[in-house]
Amino acid sequence: MRDAIDLLIKVMPELLQGTGVTLQIALVSLALGMIVGLPVGVGRVYGPVWLRHVLGAYITLFQGTPVLIQLFMVYYGLPDIGITLGRLQAAFLTLGLNSAAYQAEYLRSALLSVSEGQMVAARALGMSKWQAIWSIILPQAVRLALPAWSNEAVAMLKYTSVVFLIAVPDLMGQAKILASRYFAPIQIYLIVAVFYVVLVGITYLILTSIERRMRIPGLTGDAAS
Amino acid sequence: MTSPILRIEDVHKSYGALQVLKGVSLTVQPREVVVLVGPSGSGKSTLLRCINLLNPPTKGRIWLEDQEITAPGVNQDRVRQRIGMVFQEFNLFTHLTALGNVMIGLVKVRKMRKNEARDLAMFELERVGLADRAHYYPAQLSGGQKQRVAIARALGMDPHIMLFDEPTSALDPELTGEVLAVMQKLASEGMTMIVVSHEIGFARQVADRIVFMEGGVVVEEGTPQQMFEQPVHERTRAFLRNITR
Repeated sequence: MRDAIDLLIKVMPELLQGTGVTLQIALVSLALGMIVGLPVGVGRVYGPVWLRHVLGAYITLFQGTPVLIQLFMVYYGLPDIGITLGRLQAAFLTLGLNSAAYQAEYLRSALLSVSEGQMVAARALGMSKWQAIWSIILPQAVRLALPAWSNEAVAMLKYTSVVFLIAVPDLMGQAKILASRYFAPIQIYLIVAVFYVVLVGITYLILTSIERRMRIPGLTGDAAS
Repeated sequence: MTSPILRIEDVHKSYGALQVLKGVSLTVQPREVVVLVGPSGSGKSTLLRCINLLNPPTKGRIWLEDQEITAPGVNQDRVRQRIGMVFQEFNLFTHLTALGNVMIGLVKVRKMRKNEARDLAMFELERVGLADRAHYYPAQLSGGQKQRVAIARALGMDPHIMLFDEPTSALDPELTGEVLAVMQKLASEGMTMIVVSHEIGFARQVADRIVFMEGGVVVEEGTPQQMFEQPVHERTRAFLRNITR
């Protein structure tokens, strides 16, 4: 027990640093995923047919291949065509584009489940198609997509762990270094697992509170809770 | 003789091989209340959606006031601002309060400032008797209240003509009265209205003219008295007998 506490105290600073890196990667990637995923999702539903196909291909590409291969392609492959990225940049770009594909799909199904009458009523008021999408359809779709989006955020926190394979010192990267430094892989990885659980728990609490705050009074789901 | 507010000339509408409207002509004068009746599938709702260009006609022409709105190059969004529409299923924006539903068109389309829009929206909600429900969300309102909010939302745009597509058909019978009362009040204030409805009491009392459609054409039109008491066509007679029974 004594040893375990000693070990914990010794590795804590580096694990906290790693946690910071993990959080940074997750937040930047989710934000990038949102910035890209929102227009992709809207374009998938409301864009011209050729655009829907192009965006569909992008989504299939990122959903259909392992994220690790995507990361290697970005970090080791892009330099071949003259684009060299730093480790963190490669992590942001890969996980951001990967997340965008998923977020776009969540948004797409949410957009499709907003009733058609909403668009018709908005157009009848004199709104243009894009005005209606922006001020009527999207605010409803975003609420519908929120539970799926929460899952994406939680998944992202754990996905980030692949970046240690391009030597980014995230939580997992630190774990690997510490495990070999102290010859205590089981203990270290257990501690790191607890770190991930705590991060996920906090994220989950924050997101459910956002979901609750954005809920529309009187709609189903309100009554159920 | 004033000039008509709406003139529909030989309007056709098809969806692929399915011909829904087969040459409808209709002229509506300012302040007139026209009630459209007819069996389901006769093209009444389609005609309303042709008028505000939600589903533009495949053939034929429509004038709103002095403008041919079916002419190429017409800004359809601007046309729709002048035409209020009320739907059978209300179609209130579920994420906005009653007040928000009325305000959003004022802010986004009429480009009014927020506080100005709020004042006008409150005024419109008062007009339909729902000022005390301004901060309720659609899911918290009864069907009749929802439909009155939808009417207030349309009125906020200051329409020159209002289209009602079976406004009471989705309501429980005890809730239709409050909606019809609001519509009757609008008519008495001089609003031009085209109403698709099977509410016979409303048609008798409020309509200036009843238009009977069947199979995508206007079969017969006339004052409520003519139509209910001595319709020319046997189809009209049979239909009206059926719905008044």
